[in-house]
Amino acid sequence: MGIISIENLDRLYWLGRYSERVYTSARLFATSFDRMIDMNLDDYAQFCALLDIPNIYRSREEFCGRYIVDEQDPNSIYSNLMRAYDNAVELRNEIGSEPITYIQLSVYDMKKSKLLSAPIVGLQKVIDNILAFWGIVDDMIESENVRNIIKTGKRIERLDLYGRLQVDRTSIAREVHRLAGRIQRTNLHYDREKIEELNRLVEEDEIDYDRIVELADGVRTD
Amino acid sequence: MQELKLTKQAETVNELLARYGVKFGIYKNNTFQEQLFPFDTIPRVIGKADFAYLERGLKQRVTALNCFIKDIYGEKKIIRDRVVPEEFVYISSGFLAPCDGVVPPKGIYAHIAGIDLVQGKDGEWYVLEDNLRVPSGASYPMIARELCRRSSPETFEANHVEDNRDYTRLLRRTMDHANTGGHTVILTPGRYNAAYFEHSYLAEKTGAHLVTGNELMVENDYLYFVDYSGKKEKVGVIYRRISDEYLDPMTFREESMIGIPHIFDVYRKGHVALINAPGNGVADDKGIYYFVPKMIRYYLDEEPVLQNAPTYLPFYEEDMKYVLAHFDDLVLKDVAEAGGYGVVFANKMTAQEKEDFIALLKKEPRRFIAQEVIDFMDIDILEGGVRTPRKADLRAFVLMADEPLVWKSGLTRFSRNPDSFIVNSSQGGGFKDTWVLSQ
Repeated sequence: MGIISIENLDRLYWLGRYSERVYTSARLFATSFDRMIDMNLDDYAQFCALLDIPNIYRSREEFCGRYIVDEQDPNSIYSNLMRAYDNAVELRNEIGSEPITYIQLSVYDMKKSKLLSAPIVGLQKVIDNILAFWGIVDDMIESENVRNIIKTGKRIERLDLYGRLQVDRTSIAREVHRLAGRIQRTNLHYDREKIEELNRLVEEDEIDYDRIVELADGVRTD
Repeated sequence: MQELKLTKQAETVNELLARYGVKFGIYKNNTFQEQLFPFDTIPRVIGKADFAYLERGLKQRVTALNCFIKDIYGEKKIIRDRVVPEEFVYISSGFLAPCDGVVPPKGIYAHIAGIDLVQGKDGEWYVLEDNLRVPSGASYPMIARELCRRSSPETFEANHVEDNRDYTRLLRRTMDHANTGGHTVILTPGRYNAAYFEHSYLAEKTGAHLVTGNELMVENDYLYFVDYSGKKEKVGVIYRRISDEYLDPMTFREESMIGIPHIFDVYRKGHVALINAPGNGVADDKGIYYFVPKMIRYYLDEEPVLQNAPTYLPFYEEDMKYVLAHFDDLVLKDVAEAGGYGVVFANKMTAQEKEDFIALLKKEPRRFIAQEVIDFMDIDILEGGVRTPRKADLRAFVLMADEPLVWKSGLTRFSRNPDSFIVNSSQGGGFKDTWVLSQ
């Protein structure tokens, strides 16, 4: 094998991004959900602002229901998971059937969580499956290039999310270094100057998070 | 046979099939939906001797069908010798004039044939249909077997069953044999095709590249796969899972968005093999089916091993008389339809429907065939844990490389509706594994 079409390269990259988006937004939601139980009932407004998604929710209850499982809400975790799934099913002969099963299981678990009184409990299984997916990517996908493209998508998405969430310097610096190390091991076209700028930004006294988000989204050039 | 331990694992097997995304696509109200393909754990079991008989008949049939296609796009002797009337050939929608005079690499037209059979209550096998274009379905029993073995190993310890997971080896051998020198690709219309699971699974298992038309291009009479860096890799064989008419917008339907412009020119020059060859539809037309036993006698000078279901062509005056006289006992099939559509049982029509249908039949006699309703053997399925009989057919696969090989398994489809003979997945049917016993 060894040759990858431009369509599949894109799918691998977006599979990495969407699987990461599901994982990190699910974990973040869990933290926010906990705060909303008895500390800050309107925490969801801040959650939406941080992730730059429209706050279309009228109450905590509506947010908790729709943000996880509403297939009509394009920003829901469900919608992002389906985008990961849509990419994964078209990659069977690049990544193999076994890794895809974990994305498939995530979809089933997400659908089941709709029926639960506390959908967040179902979300834990989705997180477990995404973690298993990343594990099997490392374990079973022979092509280093394929693995690196998925992981580059994952790193870019995480950097984007961490930038929006304005996480601490150590965490964001770690993600920048991981991305810089990973992307050069792929054949993706990328902007080296942006990687260098990211490296500089995390060393500055005051981190410019908006610029980090901008650079993360623009680092891949094709 | 004793109750198999496997049948107690029905839920486990179906859960595993869901896990592996064993689905088919269907359009309902113009919306694409993926559905799990219901699997029944009670296998169809074919004894060694019975399969040897089937194997002989299937090889014979597919060999004759290949001879027919070669002849039709070549010398046309069978028409000149008045064995098959030319009316049935040239007005068939499967006859493609651009294929006239084109000889495919290695001279093989139907590399993969799916022959649909039923077994009568007398034990006799009847061929219902030949599928020589893009027959689908082999991946389902193959993956089901894998998961059944995992779920109930003791069942396979206790029974001597031919391993059907070598289908991909046979397929790869078929592709390699036809290859003109270059990469092997499976061409899919894409994610929203009913059989997309199969396309992607066979690509994974054979090590072929799964591609869409956008990823292939023709340059200087050769076909290339274009990678993300723009590098071109020559393609030597395509197992294409798109219909003839969408294959090349420059030769066939110009509005096709899923084909590859000029691929037919590459094929015509022998620079790429197409599996199956375009134009095969002329031989699996429901009207041509009637003539297959005659083809076997004509090309091979042998008596057919496998029988057709008794079939009448209203095109012939004598057959029309018979059809009208025995209308209520027959099943009528529109030759242009597939997938279980266009099939009507006369005894289920209202008086008005009969009148309208007979008027249409008289107006367009070439459009229909009529067949005796075969009282075929029911096969048990498990419904609510209880064995219940249902109608089922068998799609057997014959792969043609240097010689025809019959896959020692097949797709057994069954009707989930107790009153129906229609087994197609698109109409709610399920599937079973097909066991061929090795001793």
